[in-house]
Amino acid sequence: MRDGVCLEKESPAADGASQAADAVIRFEDVHYTYPGYDTETLCGIDLEIKKGSFVAVLGHNGSGKSTLAKLTNAILVPDKGRVLVAGIDTADEERVIDVRRTVGMVFQNPDNQIVANVVEDDVAFAPENLGVEPAEIRRRVDEALKQVGMYEMRMHAPHLLSGGQKQRVAIAGVIAMEPGIIVLDEPTAMLDPQGRHEVISTVTKLCRDKKMTVVLITHHMDECVRADRLIVMSAGKIIADGKPAEVFADVELMESEGLTVPETTRLLYDLRKAGMTLPGEELDVEGCAEEIAQGLRL
Amino acid sequence: MSEIKVEQLRHVYSAGTPFEKVAIDGINLTIPHGQLVGIIGHTGSGKSTFIQHLNALLAPSSGKVLCAGKDINENKISRRDVKGQVGLVFQYPEYQLFEETVYKDIAFGPANMKLSPEEIDSRVREAANFVGLDEELFERSPLELSGGQKRRIAIAGVIAMRPGVLVLDEPTAGLDPAGCRQVLDNICAYREKTGATVIIVSHSMDDVAKIAERILVFDRGGIVMDGTPSEVFSHPEELISIGLDVPKATELAMALRKRGVKLPESIYSHEQLLSAIVSLREGQKC
Amino acid sequence: MLKDITLGQFFPGDTVVHRLDPRTKLILVVVYIIALFQASGWVSYAAVTAATAACMALSHIKPGNIFKGLKPMLFIIVLTALLNIFYTDGTPVIPGWIITWQGIARAVQMILRIILLITGTFLLTYTTSPIALTDGLDILFGPLKKIKVPVHEMTIMMSMALRFIPTLIEETDKIMSAQKARGADFETGSLISRAKALLPILVPLFVSAFRRADELAVAMESRCYHGGEGRTRMKRLRMAGIDYAALIIGAAFLAAMIVMKKFGI
Repeated sequence: MRDGVCLEKESPAADGASQAADAVIRFEDVHYTYPGYDTETLCGIDLEIKKGSFVAVLGHNGSGKSTLAKLTNAILVPDKGRVLVAGIDTADEERVIDVRRTVGMVFQNPDNQIVANVVEDDVAFAPENLGVEPAEIRRRVDEALKQVGMYEMRMHAPHLLSGGQKQRVAIAGVIAMEPGIIVLDEPTAMLDPQGRHEVISTVTKLCRDKKMTVVLITHHMDECVRADRLIVMSAGKIIADGKPAEVFADVELMESEGLTVPETTRLLYDLRKAGMTLPGEELDVEGCAEEIAQGLRL
Repeated sequence: MSEIKVEQLRHVYSAGTPFEKVAIDGINLTIPHGQLVGIIGHTGSGKSTFIQHLNALLAPSSGKVLCAGKDINENKISRRDVKGQVGLVFQYPEYQLFEETVYKDIAFGPANMKLSPEEIDSRVREAANFVGLDEELFERSPLELSGGQKRRIAIAGVIAMRPGVLVLDEPTAGLDPAGCRQVLDNICAYREKTGATVIIVSHSMDDVAKIAERILVFDRGGIVMDGTPSEVFSHPEELISIGLDVPKATELAMALRKRGVKLPESIYSHEQLLSAIVSLREGQKC
Repeated sequence: MLKDITLGQFFPGDTVVHRLDPRTKLILVVVYIIALFQASGWVSYAAVTAATAACMALSHIKPGNIFKGLKPMLFIIVLTALLNIFYTDGTPVIPGWIITWQGIARAVQMILRIILLITGTFLLTYTTSPIALTDGLDILFGPLKKIKVPVHEMTIMMSMALRFIPTLIEETDKIMSAQKARGADFETGSLISRAKALLPILVPLFVSAFRRADELAVAMESRCYHGGEGRTRMKRLRMAGIDYAALIIGAAFLAAMIVMKKFGI
């Protein structure tokens, strides 16, 4: 999985249509450089995200993970290569709205993405922009608020809510568009543990119950544990990609990237080094404890 | 020496209005000079209100705060002087940077203390050194630097006042793991070199467990636990019951004990847990 | 402190006043202000005061909240009162004094007028969500779009401003505390040095406001905002019987006030 150099690849031309239909987001050799900078922020990303999956993207600041998020929503468009969202090229200016209604974005700072003074009016913002019928907006707003557990607080002023509550309102504002895909760019970076927990369990639920595709950008490794797939980015490249337990198991790689691994992985890794036989890779606390308890009984 | 003593501290917001709210009440505490204290508690537990009393930014509704034996709220002069003795770094301190250059921003605090230009210069360099800031950055605008660098500049701005007590509210919030480690290392270095008291408010149990000598647990405006990390983390159930996390190692140790693994009480770091399990295994072999 | 500023605050509720169409309320406030300026005698002042009190009672807004909102206006109120007390000719209260009975009467009336004016507008903003308010303005001024006045843009700007006032006030408080902790002094010194002392607050505040604006613009675009064209509204404004009733009462009240003015009471 480790790709040392930025390889120049030929763009796989017009064969996009023949690709598996369940890839809702496709990156094809995507390069991006911010205006005014010399170095590429993304250098050659190839990526397919499957419908209904929960993908976590981990990386330290400056690894390009936020840029990756912005490219899925046509906030940025690639300098080279292309990004397809549900088959639509994000560079197609005619269809920007179609891209954005397919991929909902939640950003880091909860204060700077809430536009209205009342929770329910904020959730209605996106469907109003899309020209949805008033009665249908009402239905979507109520349903979205119920899904994130903020229905009871629909008449509150956003500035009086906690960080976790604000972020859940932002999520509701996005799912009211009925997007199918939701991309969250470090949604928990400014929250306390309570708020982080609220947000992560909300998105996990959306993926499990509503079959939404979730892409979670983060630098908290704990939040990746529940994902189906974990992508690790560094210096504009994908350096690891797989099931979270497998990716974390490469402790040396993670540490060389300045990232930490969950305590569970770390402990199993160190115990094995100390000579214990522990076959499984358990990420959650109970599973890991079970594994070690069995290892001790041997 | 700057021992902090807090007596019967109480603070009420918007007293006498319908919005009246008791933020902290009945806090008694002595923090000896040079201690590294971690404060934990969830949002709204009163910890932010508490630390703003330590340098007289907030005045107590009743009770006293003493620094080196003197009431810091005695008069205008004592309230001003304590700002130099007790340095307070707020949450997301990078949002307070305002000068055109990094150097000038770090110099803002010392300049307000009316120090001589030579003294200011030496303090700015010293503070920059503590936070590992290259002097090449001095003439740059703080606004064009990275988030982690801005954070360290802001911390340097307070360290440059050379406070005997350094109080930091969530110094690592929003930073990536590498940034977190660096900021914590800088703070520990400052304490080692100067012997200052350091008080850190944090949501990260693992950080607090790693560096603090003493932990204060805030809940509903009061201190509910006060002790060494091993004392505090030997009651993980209590922490969980007031809605706080425990260090991951403690959580794992609890799960292992539940499965009949005889681990010693009070495990709060990876190293402790690892060596406890390894020695259990050695014991079995014999 | 700064947090006490209640400008643009909205207290959600479900009273008759809350339920009125924002357009009705906007028109009624204009009618109210015109009526207030008709008041010249004690009877008419009493009538406006009674009407205001009735509206407050109907809307369940506590007088405390109104007073809180009046606090920042205290200076203007006191100044107006003093000017009227000292600069009105008439019968001195005590022979030889500059203060006259007429002056006191005028001062009381002026204070009443200012308080009632502010209270009336507060009742509007306290009981109408800013979104509803801007929607109301959008429709009322809608005809101006024909002569290329950017009504939608102006109303959305207004509602954004209202949305961010509390956030920015909170932020100002935080920045002030942080700079005070670094020994900044905002209270002493000459006017120039005090104005200079504002820089450490204003610079971070503006930097942050620009950053917020930037992030907000991206967030709005990613939620498919593309101007007023083709936009719908969740809460369709609809005038109900109660709105027409309120407007008729408002018109009658204005007529009564004009009559009272004719009689000089």
